[in-house]
Amino acid sequence: MSIAHSLESIGFLSDFSESVLVYPIVLSTHLTCIALFGGMILMTNLRLLGLTFKSVTITEMVTSLRPWKRGGGVVMICAGILLAASEAEKYAPNYYFWTKMVTLGLIGVHGLVFRPLVYNNTEELDRSPVIPAKAKIAAILSLVLWTTMFTMGRLIAYYEP
Amino acid sequence: MLLQNAIADALNNSEWAFPLAECLHIGGFAVGVGSIALVDLRMLNLGLRHETAARILRYTEPWTLIALVFVVFSGMALFLSQVNIYLINPIFPLKMYVLVAALIYNFTVHRKVAAMENPSPALSKSVAIVSVLLWVSIVFGGIFTGFLE
Repeated sequence: MSIAHSLESIGFLSDFSESVLVYPIVLSTHLTCIALFGGMILMTNLRLLGLTFKSVTITEMVTSLRPWKRGGGVVMICAGILLAASEAEKYAPNYYFWTKMVTLGLIGVHGLVFRPLVYNNTEELDRSPVIPAKAKIAAILSLVLWTTMFTMGRLIAYYEP
Repeated sequence: MLLQNAIADALNNSEWAFPLAECLHIGGFAVGVGSIALVDLRMLNLGLRHETAARILRYTEPWTLIALVFVVFSGMALFLSQVNIYLINPIFPLKMYVLVAALIYNFTVHRKVAAMENPSPALSKSVAIVSVLLWVSIVFGGIFTGFLE
């Protein structure tokens, strides 16, 4: 509790959460990233499931969107850190917030597991006559994890101590 | 009126209905705006360069449409549950004007230019930039509706 209190008392963070304009601007930026880069994640996964973008190779889909997803992810996480740190005391007991953080951790694990098998192995996937099961499993897990992420993000506002 | 009361009752009296409508709203705009943004990305020549914008439009359009239906209906439910608050909100009407503009723009100018065989790069790029700006400003409008009362 005291760590959370000292965190949100850091000068610029308390100025930040008390500002009429800055807080909603950062929150809007966080959500804009969800729209712009979430759409890329979704379409990449639908491609891995063979549901759309069939004339685009998996390689093209993964590699040409990768820099945008990375850039967007950095902006999204920075905005998220600002939002959470500025109200650290409110977030510390919020189990929706911690579920969201665990989900974020699982997304990291998903990346570690499936990067060598799927996302860095797209040329093999493109050569295969049918999309291999491992690619579809990666896509479904990614969709489940990201849906959990934005749902928990919204539910943070509904926590009552 | 009856419908409005029924929806307001459902959303206000059930613990999970309002957050569920909000999640559908967020999930919907993520898919809707995100799928339009992929067409914009191609029109700006910043990704998926091996495929034409017209093809990408054709792939994404069904997802865009379904998602926008979800966004609009969940948005209407959220609006009807607290009509009085939204009507006096300074930002909400602006968001609605921009939304109408964005929807019309998306299914006329944007669609037409994306489907062109050889549009000039300048035309493609300006149409895509306007599209991104319209949709992003609607996301901002939604958040500011909640913050400036």
